[in-house]
Amino acid sequence: MQGTPGGGMRPGPSPVDRRTLLVFSFILAAALGQMNFTGDQVLRVLAKDEKQLSLLGDLEGLKPQKVDFWRGPARLSLPVDMRVPFSELKDIKAYLESHGLAYSIMIKDIQVLLDEEREAMAKSRRLERSTNSFSYSSYHTLEEIYSWIDNFVMEHSDIVSKIQIGNSFENQSILVLKFSTGGSRHPAIWIDTGIHSREWITHATGIWTANKIVSDYGKDRVLTDILNAMDIFIELVTNPDGFAFTHSMNRLWRKNKSIRPGIFCIGVDLNRNWKSGFGGNGSNSNPCSETYHGPSPQSEPEVAAIVNFITAHGNFKALISIHSYSQMLMYPYGRSLEPVSNQRELYDLAKDAVEALYKVHGIEYIFGSLSTTLYVASGITVDWAYDSGIKYAFSFELRDTGQYGFLLPATQIIPTAQETWMALRTIMEHTLNHPY
Amino acid sequence: SASYRVPAPAPVFLPWGPMAAPQALASSPPHTKTNSFFIFRVQLKYSVSVFQINPKEGCKVHVVFSTERYNPEEREGRLGKCSARVFFKNQKPRPTINVTCTRLIEKKKRQQEDYLLYKQMKQLKNPLEIVSIPDNHGHIDPSLRPIWDLAFLGSSYVMWEMTTQVSHYYLAQLTSVRQWKTNDDTIDFDYTVLLHELSTQEIIPCRIHLVWYPGKPLKVKYHCQELQTPEEASGTEEGSAVVPTELSNF
Repeated sequence: MQGTPGGGMRPGPSPVDRRTLLVFSFILAAALGQMNFTGDQVLRVLAKDEKQLSLLGDLEGLKPQKVDFWRGPARLSLPVDMRVPFSELKDIKAYLESHGLAYSIMIKDIQVLLDEEREAMAKSRRLERSTNSFSYSSYHTLEEIYSWIDNFVMEHSDIVSKIQIGNSFENQSILVLKFSTGGSRHPAIWIDTGIHSREWITHATGIWTANKIVSDYGKDRVLTDILNAMDIFIELVTNPDGFAFTHSMNRLWRKNKSIRPGIFCIGVDLNRNWKSGFGGNGSNSNPCSETYHGPSPQSEPEVAAIVNFITAHGNFKALISIHSYSQMLMYPYGRSLEPVSNQRELYDLAKDAVEALYKVHGIEYIFGSLSTTLYVASGITVDWAYDSGIKYAFSFELRDTGQYGFLLPATQIIPTAQETWMALRTIMEHTLNHPY
Repeated sequence: SASYRVPAPAPVFLPWGPMAAPQALASSPPHTKTNSFFIFRVQLKYSVSVFQINPKEGCKVHVVFSTERYNPEEREGRLGKCSARVFFKNQKPRPTINVTCTRLIEKKKRQQEDYLLYKQMKQLKNPLEIVSIPDNHGHIDPSLRPIWDLAFLGSSYVMWEMTTQVSHYYLAQLTSVRQWKTNDDTIDFDYTVLLHELSTQEIIPCRIHLVWYPGKPLKVKYHCQELQTPEEASGTEEGSAVVPTELSNF
C-alpha cells in the first residue's frame, strides 16, 4: 500500500493527455462558474500615521466596494493587504499615491497564481488516478485526505473506524481515526497532526503512520501488544479550515479561520487556546498575531471538539501532538519553567524515543520540556493534557531545522514518517508497560 | 547522541540564549572577509557554553560547531571545525561574531565556485517568471537553484542584522525575483522573501535589493515589515548591510 519511496520525477503526460487536461480544466472552470481574477492585484500598504490609516478605512467603506481587504486596516505599522480588481487598479493607485500612501505589489496577477496552482494540483491528482494508488510520498488536499480516510476505513474495517468529533468554524467535519481490537473503553493513546495548518509534513506523517499501524498489526510484536490492550486515536487534520486555506490562498497560514465581529484579523492559534495557563506568556492577545490565543479558553470549535471527546472518553493515557519544524521532542510545561512531577521519567522516555528515531536515518532531535527547549508558550495542548491527568504528554517538532522549514520537500515525507514512527512506538510501548 | 550539551549546572536559564548563538552564526555572512560567495551552513551538532550573563551588558556565548557545504547535492563531507564567540549586547540585534575555522576549502576552489555562480546568474533569461521558490511542496527546480542560493545569501545578511537573543529568523520562501540589467557587469537583483521568526511565529515579508560581483563585497539593502510588539516603538525594519564581523583564519 505504500507509495514509491522518495517520490520524485515521473514521466510527463503524453500529448493526448495534455490536451485532455486543458479541455477538462476549461470545462471545470465553466461548470463551477469560477470568478476570474485576471489582472487583479494584491497591494500591501503600510500607513505612516493615524490619518493615513483612516484614509484606508475610508476605502473599505466605499459603496460599491472598490477593494477587498485580505488584511484590514487595524493598527499603525500593521500591513494592510487589499485585493484590487483590475478595473479599479488605476483609480486606487492614484488614490494611494496622491495621499502619499506607500504600497507594494504583493501579487501581480492573482489569476496567474490561481491557474498555476490549479494546474499543479490537477497534474498530481491525474497522476494518482492513473497509478491507482494513494501516494504516501506526496502532499494532499483536504478532499484527498478525507477521501483516503473513507477508503482506508473501508479496507481495514476490522481495526479502523472513523469518528466525527465536531465541526470546524467553516463547518468542515472534524474526523478522528480509531484503531481498536475491541473491548470497551480500553486505555487510549491520542495523536494529532496538523493543528497548525502550514505544517504539512505532520498530516503526511500521520497518514503514513495510520497505514503503518494496520500494516504492522500482527507482525510487529510491540505494536500488536499495544493494540491488543489499548486503542489509538489519530486526528489527521486538526485544523481543516486552515489547511484548506494553505492550499487555496496562503501556504504559510497557521491559525484556524474563525472570524469575530469587529475584529479585522482572522484566526486563532489553536495551540494557545487550551485551558492551561491560558493567556499567559508566550501567547498573544492581539488578534492579528500568529499566536493569538482567542477570546477565551476552548473558544475555538476545533479545540472544544477534542476537549469534549477526550474528557468524555475518560481513559486516555498518552497524548502526542505533532508539529513542525525544529526536530524536537518535548513534554510539559510550556507555560512555565516549573518541572512536571514525573519530569525524570519523561526525560528518560524522550531520550529513548529520540535515540530510536536517530537510528533510522541519523536525524538528530533535541529534547526536554517545552519551555526550556523551544520557548515559553501558554494555553498549549500538552499542558492541558498533562493537567487533565494524562501523564505521557508529548509534543513533536518534525523535520527540518530551517533549511526548508514548513516547505519540506515531499521526498522527505516517508523518511520523516519512518523515523517518527520509531519514536511514537517507543512512547506507546512505555505507556503500555506503565499503566496508571 | 542526539542532544546538544550545555555544561551543567545551567546558569540562570535563558531558553533562547544558547540557541540564538548558532542561529546568528547560521545567518551571519562569515565568508565576507574574503568576499567569497561560498556558503556554508552550521551543523546542528555543536556544544555551547554561556560564559557571561549580565543583563545590563548582554550575553556572550561560545559555540563549537562543524560546518558542511550548504548545497546538499554536493556533499563533500565536513568542511571543518569552527569555534565562535557570539556577543549579544543589551539584547540588541546584529550580534558581534568572531569565528575561527580549521581545514577549509582553499581559496582557488572558492573563487571557481563564485565565478560559476556568477555565470549562471548572468545566463538567466529575463524577465524571470517566478512565483515561489521553493514551491508549496518544497521543490526547487535545479535550474532555479542559483537564484535560490543568491536569495538565501542576501537573506542571511538581513536575518543576521535582525537576530537577537530572542528573535531567530529562517528563510521560509522566496516569493518574487527580478533581475536588473547593469552597465558594469554586476549582478543586480530585487526580490521579496518571507522570513519566519521563531519566537513569535510571524511571517515577515522583506524586500531585498542585492548587488554582487565575485571578489567584491556584497551590497544589500532591505525593507522588512514587522509586527509590532506592545513594548517596541515603530514597526518597519530597514537597512543596508554594513561591513560585517571580522573573521580570523577563514
